[in-house]
Amino acid sequence: MSDVLTIENLNYKRNLKVILHDVNLTLAQGKIVGLLGENGAGKTTLMRLITGSAKGSGHIAVRDLEKTVDRKRHVSFSEQLKGFADGTRIDRVVDYYRLVYPDFDGQRFEELVTFLQIDTSLKLSALSKGMKEKVVIALTLSRQVDLYLLDEPFSGIDSMSRKRIISSIIKWKPDDATMVISDHYVTEIAPILDDVVIVKDQTVAIHQAADDIRDEYGIGIEAFYESLYEGGVKHD
Amino acid sequence: MKFDDKVPIYYQIKNQLYHEMITGELEPGDKLPAVRQLAVDMTVNVNTIQRALGEMITEGVIESQRGKGNFVTMDHERITQLKEELITEQLERVYQQLHALDLSDEDIIASLEHFIKQRGEQHV
Repeated sequence: MSDVLTIENLNYKRNLKVILHDVNLTLAQGKIVGLLGENGAGKTTLMRLITGSAKGSGHIAVRDLEKTVDRKRHVSFSEQLKGFADGTRIDRVVDYYRLVYPDFDGQRFEELVTFLQIDTSLKLSALSKGMKEKVVIALTLSRQVDLYLLDEPFSGIDSMSRKRIISSIIKWKPDDATMVISDHYVTEIAPILDDVVIVKDQTVAIHQAADDIRDEYGIGIEAFYESLYEGGVKHD
Repeated sequence: MKFDDKVPIYYQIKNQLYHEMITGELEPGDKLPAVRQLAVDMTVNVNTIQRALGEMITEGVIESQRGKGNFVTMDHERITQLKEELITEQLERVYQQLHALDLSDEDIIASLEHFIKQRGEQHV
């Protein structure tokens, strides 16, 4: 199976402070990967380094492409609609996506809008937290790329929205594409994960298949993650 | 479907499908839903469904027909055998645990009979 993402010896500092060091990570195609770690562990930074929005030292390749412009074309990152004014209507945001991303698939977006029950005539300011997250997911998944990065898509939203979003991920993730979902609370996404990547002590501490963790340790993903932070599970 | 996060998900999917075959919810020759549909129904990953089905195909419980999908085996004997395997697996677990409590085989049979009798009275 070919790899979608390769990271070698990645280091990143901000204001002389080490945020990430010696990160090595390879993700195969077609996976759903949980990126876990405490708040401030560097999950979002790692995603921004992958897209090229942040610059570190070392190598990052998406589908063997290292240049930032090339990488950006192959990665869809769930930016939180921050660049848009509150009064912007959703359909105007969609127009922008169509214009900027040639791989934006309008039909996929329509399907996702129907499934997630989004009213695209609403302004961003009128959206609840759950609805806003659904819009972000619909926009992110409507691009046809090799790598999807979802940054904490479930934080602070109601369980019905969460379930819908999880179903939409299963339905619309292309077979060959890989998706990274960051979260600091893993229980509800645990059943849909192929792999678990844990960021701890400014680096990737663990990368293992979810079912292998259950097999090997006989504990759940949440318990495994917690025990790692408490130093309970031995790992060489 | 609710999963026990401590147990590999592919294993739980297999058990769920075995269960449906043994109870007749899925009959011999029945077509299984498409892989992605099963993934959506069970809220799991497509790859995990594929792993579960792959193992069941190897076990001869499911037959894959090129371009048509996956079907429950028409081999009734295989289903009967599957039921026996699951019964043995459950009994093995109970037997081991009772044995570990220092019960002899006779004790185990007696307590099982007692348990069933008592349970039957409670449920009348």
